[in-house]
Amino acid sequence: MQALLSFDQAPPFSAPIRFFVSAPLFAILAGLLMLWSGPDLFSSRWTPAALALTHLITAGFMLQVMLGAMFQILPVVAGANISRPLLIATVVHAAIALGALLLAAAFLSHQPLAFRLAVISLGSGLALFAGAAGHALYGVPSRNPTIVGLKLSLVGLSMTVGIGALLAIALDASLALPLLQLTSIHLGWGFVGWGMVLLAAVAFVVVPMFQMTPPYPPGVARHFCWSVLVLLSLWSVVELADWQWPAALLAGALVLAAAVFAAVTLHVQRRSKRARFDATQHYWRVAMLCALAACLLWFLASLLPTLAERPEWPLLCGVLVLSGGFMSVMIGMLYKIVPFLVWLHLQNLGGGRVMAPNMNKVIAGEQIDRQMRAHFVSLAVLLAAVAWPEWFTYPAGIALVVANSWLLRNLLAAVTFYQQHRSTIQGLAPAVATGR
Amino acid sequence: MDADIVIDARGLEPPEPMVRTMAALEQLGDAQKLLVLLPREPYPLYRALEINGFSWQTECRPDGTVEVLIRHQPQ
Repeated sequence: MQALLSFDQAPPFSAPIRFFVSAPLFAILAGLLMLWSGPDLFSSRWTPAALALTHLITAGFMLQVMLGAMFQILPVVAGANISRPLLIATVVHAAIALGALLLAAAFLSHQPLAFRLAVISLGSGLALFAGAAGHALYGVPSRNPTIVGLKLSLVGLSMTVGIGALLAIALDASLALPLLQLTSIHLGWGFVGWGMVLLAAVAFVVVPMFQMTPPYPPGVARHFCWSVLVLLSLWSVVELADWQWPAALLAGALVLAAAVFAAVTLHVQRRSKRARFDATQHYWRVAMLCALAACLLWFLASLLPTLAERPEWPLLCGVLVLSGGFMSVMIGMLYKIVPFLVWLHLQNLGGGRVMAPNMNKVIAGEQIDRQMRAHFVSLAVLLAAVAWPEWFTYPAGIALVVANSWLLRNLLAAVTFYQQHRSTIQGLAPAVATGR
Repeated sequence: MDADIVIDARGLEPPEPMVRTMAALEQLGDAQKLLVLLPREPYPLYRALEINGFSWQTECRPDGTVEVLIRHQPQ
């Protein structure tokens, strides 16, 4: 029995969990949107439905998981505590949830007011988050690659939102801006400067920690995040200046960097001490293979102009990166982060009088495995829908709804598990149970 | 480092390093020292030590191992 308290100022359980539980709701909406719009959605990446779908996944699903995880990771990995975490989490969560919904509605309706409200909601929520996280990280020495990566990812997030807001205002006010280049730069900063930098920063800690692997090679860990951000900044400038050759070269270097990260992760994963892969490891492996496939496709399209002209290839890359890459990694991580949070908070609430239950019991293993299979089926059907939209759009929509309803069910099971044990502990040891 | 109890938590999956360290701290005598070997700096552990009245020294080995030497705070 442990009579010692393990923490007193970590964010309350409800601060990060609200983000995690909301994430699958956006993916379910994305699936419903597919069913509503039908095969036309896949005729180009620029259709209103495709843009709405993309932002339901990126500004909806992914942003929810990434911010929720950062609330938890900053104190644990960097020793950086966000002040008043529950208040900040409540406001940020409400603002970005509303903002993502408004943004999807704006793409579908082309209503200038919806774009403006989406910019205000997402922009203010993310500015508050970036300010609070930046304040927490300010003064924390950059002792390891993860802390450097976390700091740089905030730059990536700010750039993504800033350029996104500019685009939304430009669409609304018909400003004379180079919209195509700005869209590419927005996408580059979102995928690479925010998404990949944060993923890499977190991976350097969580892959060895949860997958029982050796550490990443020190050279990769030390130089990856900042060199990617330098390349991205240079590429953004030459892309805006419309210098085609240097822009293509730098874009190639960025795609190569992503491929190197995926290959190194697969290599590290192969040396895991665990005899049998668990769901998180399967999720990571599929994600890295999808990232490699997307990079290969990108290089093929730059070499073969006939492929680049086809509307399917950016859609295929998009599905591989978003559903195959980012969503897979994030769901895989949720299955470690959420049970760990439940355990941590119950252990602290128990205060030595009640032992926290085993972490593996928080979400049943077979439910995790079934949800994982549902996600992989949805990925396969989504890829098929890009190639044969008239056959596979509806099955893909249904598959996305099923896989994410299952994820929601699993996350709610963890919340119920926490609440039940908290009630038990409060009944037994009212003096120590003060958590929210 | 000279310690009475040593926990090598480098190959353990979370939350096992925290569980074992907290369990060992309960058994730690007033004059005894506990050494924990970890693959990274344990920020949550530091806070747990602080609020439970322990002091600690951290050193990083060249191979990346973090050594945390823990004892009771002098009364």
